[in-house]
Amino acid sequence: MARKISLFVPCFVDQLQPEVAVDTVKVLRHVGCEVDFPADQTCCGQPAFNSGFWEEARPCAERFLRVFKDAEVIVCPSGSCTTMVRVFYPELVSSGAMHDEAVALGKRTFELSEFLVKVMGLTDVGAAFPHTVTYHASCHGLRELKLRDEPLRLLRGVKGLKLVDMLRSDECCGFGGTFATKFESISVAMGESKCDSVAVTGAEYVTAIDPSCLMHVQGILGRRKDRARTIHLASILASEASA
Amino acid sequence: MSTNIPTPTPAGETSSALTAAQKFLRDAATKSADLVHREIIRKNMDSYDAAHNRGRARIKDWEAARRKCQEIKREAINNLDKYLLQFEKKVLERGGHVFWAANGDEACAYIKDLAVSRGVKTVVKSKSMVTEEMHLAPVLEEAGIRVWETDLGEFIVQLRNEAPYHIVTPAMHLDRNQIRDLFREKLGEDIPDADPQKLVALARRKLREAFFAAEMGISGANFLVADAGAVAITTNEGNGRLSTSLPRIHVAVTGIEKMIPRLEDLGTLWPVLATSGTGQPITTYSTLIGGPKRADEADGPEEFHVVLLDNGRSGLLANAEEREVLHCIRCGACLNICPVYRNIGGHTYNTTYPGPIGSVLTPHLRGSEFQHLSYASSLCGACTSVCPVNINLHHHLLHNRRDFTKAGGGKPGERMQFKLWRTAMLHPRLFAFGGWMMRRSLRLLYGMGLAGTALDPMRAWSRKRTPVPLPTQSFRAHWKKDLWKAGLRKKEPGRNAGGDQ
Amino acid sequence: MAISNSSREAILARIREGLRTPAPPIGDKTFYGPIFEAVGNPLERFQQECKANLMECLLTADAAGSAQALAQVLQSLPDGEVFVQDDPVLRRLITVASSQRQIRWSSQGGPLEKSQATVTLADALIAQTGSVFVSASCGGRGASVVAPTHIVYATEKQLVPDLVTALRKATADGRLERNSYACVISGSSRTADIEKILVQGAHGPMRLAVIVEIGA
Repeated sequence: MARKISLFVPCFVDQLQPEVAVDTVKVLRHVGCEVDFPADQTCCGQPAFNSGFWEEARPCAERFLRVFKDAEVIVCPSGSCTTMVRVFYPELVSSGAMHDEAVALGKRTFELSEFLVKVMGLTDVGAAFPHTVTYHASCHGLRELKLRDEPLRLLRGVKGLKLVDMLRSDECCGFGGTFATKFESISVAMGESKCDSVAVTGAEYVTAIDPSCLMHVQGILGRRKDRARTIHLASILASEASA
Repeated sequence: MSTNIPTPTPAGETSSALTAAQKFLRDAATKSADLVHREIIRKNMDSYDAAHNRGRARIKDWEAARRKCQEIKREAINNLDKYLLQFEKKVLERGGHVFWAANGDEACAYIKDLAVSRGVKTVVKSKSMVTEEMHLAPVLEEAGIRVWETDLGEFIVQLRNEAPYHIVTPAMHLDRNQIRDLFREKLGEDIPDADPQKLVALARRKLREAFFAAEMGISGANFLVADAGAVAITTNEGNGRLSTSLPRIHVAVTGIEKMIPRLEDLGTLWPVLATSGTGQPITTYSTLIGGPKRADEADGPEEFHVVLLDNGRSGLLANAEEREVLHCIRCGACLNICPVYRNIGGHTYNTTYPGPIGSVLTPHLRGSEFQHLSYASSLCGACTSVCPVNINLHHHLLHNRRDFTKAGGGKPGERMQFKLWRTAMLHPRLFAFGGWMMRRSLRLLYGMGLAGTALDPMRAWSRKRTPVPLPTQSFRAHWKKDLWKAGLRKKEPGRNAGGDQ
Repeated sequence: MAISNSSREAILARIREGLRTPAPPIGDKTFYGPIFEAVGNPLERFQQECKANLMECLLTADAAGSAQALAQVLQSLPDGEVFVQDDPVLRRLITVASSQRQIRWSSQGGPLEKSQATVTLADALIAQTGSVFVSASCGGRGASVVAPTHIVYATEKQLVPDLVTALRKATADGRLERNSYACVISGSSRTADIEKILVQGAHGPMRLAVIVEIGA
């Protein structure tokens, strides 16, 4: 009995990192889910919300609620966007019937690793990725969604993957949305500390559940010409999975 | 090894040419690029992390401890008037004085007038962030009174004419050689091998003279205990003890929010404060002072004054959503864990209270000029995760941002930008088209080698990072075309959203 | 000096007005403790914590043993005056422990800078943190902080398991009604302000020695 999944694709994944969403679809299909992409979706509203423009963010949130109204289960390959829906929508859409909808929607919206491990009860999705990989614990997933083990358990279930622990894996990479450009120097310094931690592990790849973190870290790894490359967890899990 | 410390900038002073926000950006850029500074702070923080984790492991149920401390402070703050009156009554009964100051100026005036009228020539001070907030030392010095900071870290930054770098470890940014050089220059004594033991012994000798000569000792308060009518002061060095034992007048200066209901509450708060602050099970000297020396006591000050400072705290109290910010016990844990603090250091904030708590608090105490601090955060939430009284610090930063824009703050261009953004987000075709345009034009621009230049709208990204990826197809285009072609998605009746690319 | 406390009413009024809006609720309690590890054997725990606090803990069996322990500590100190809390118990103890030293009694005032050591009683000992709980009645304020060595004479009966118990007792006793000052001391004076390196003997005593008479 196939689960019906509605895919929630973060706006910047849609535009800048589509492979993350493609791989998410592959993984979900591989574990037997029916995947739908409500093409009316745009953005969850996080950029405006984080900048303090809640009046501009609220219509996005309300629209999101409408677009996903009939979704049974929503899966998103991003900890920060899932957090926006589950943790912050109830505060942003604070009153009326839409508030209750927001609460209910949050309960059936999951980040990818959360969905696979906690809802589907899986840790082995049939992936093979024979490389050394180190894990960066993205802040929203870790502290707002309380996902500490789930991504690691999935990584350990990948054939041939050698998982190497990173020191200070839970230290923020420095992306932080508009922070990355508004406070460029601090963001880059934080990213450099993160890349130093990655370099110490000697891993070929650094992975995370948040594509925005990875985009920022890749930007610095690339600038430093470091050995490691970023790869989203979905892409690791989709490797060897049938398309 | 030298670190570039900015020349005299007493906390709170802004350069007249730059706004506070501009100065912050400039100093943050300098400090973030300072690899020597980064290394010093990294070493300090690693040491703190290890001690802190050991300390937390000593406590059987850390979450229960946090919850209890949160409840104690919540009870105190939400009944603050009642507890302040209970406290005041006891202190007055014992012959102490209680002065309520609406703002820093009133508090400084009271203390200065007291000192002058009592013929005070020398003051010894134990650590008090509130006295920094009030800029007390310059007021006293102007009246011809010599002020000695006695906490070693504070003593060091005072000699450098600098603000404290950190609320618990004021001289964290300096190494032993710099301190040796400072002592040689300012105290006239050299310690060639810069041995910390000898440096401390030198400071002790010099400050001893001050302790015994001072007519007035000024302390802060870590807590105000309502049922005992006592001021609780904790130090490791013993300077808080000497400042409040030897001089004939003791003035305790405190924010009104330091209140706790009962003496036994310290049984939880003292270990938690020490664990979060330094990783110790308890601070060495946990002192309680309820009044001036009694007739049957061997020694002690003849006069005891408590100065209760409001300075914006009652305003913050009235904001029910933000009220819990007043629960802060000033442990410094949020500063220590904050990746932004670790990169820019304490001085860059240019406020009395730096770090996450400072970023949350300062716009409320000092106004929207400091609201940039609420934005100078990636909202990682590490601060909230370590706060021993469970203050939801990073969510309060979000609230600050919301209130700031609601009041019309922020660059005028930004509000317009988000209005346009909103329009795009409400119309999927516009969103898809806009995204496609952006990718296409950036690909063109970067193809001409203009990434990171003045023509690049994303230059704040591309200057120091390889440019953002610019795929030719968005996911929604991919979904429409390829995933459809592969026969892997059901045909959707009538819908054609998403645009071409 | 007349105190014009004109802001007092304004501040209280602002607080009261502000508190009319209740704070948002906090979540249900899910962590109930106990917060701290239970103290099994108080004496053992006290000794462990003293060691960790860099304090000396000297167990003795009787008054004679205590006098001997005191004598030993005093002998290890340079020549000079010793400040002692003026209490009958300590008067007896000092007579046995040291006839050579110049003694300054607390009834004469506080300790002087030249004091080599101070000797006091305590109000309580606390096992949980290896602490000595003193107050003004233990020879005054300076007695526990001025001299480079502080010696405490206490008995096992004074030992309580934890901080909360000690503080509750202090409240019940009216400790702060009868004393203008009290202090929970958990080690020798120290600082880590230089490169986070622990250095003992900042402004307070470098050495804290606690003589604990068992069974007394």
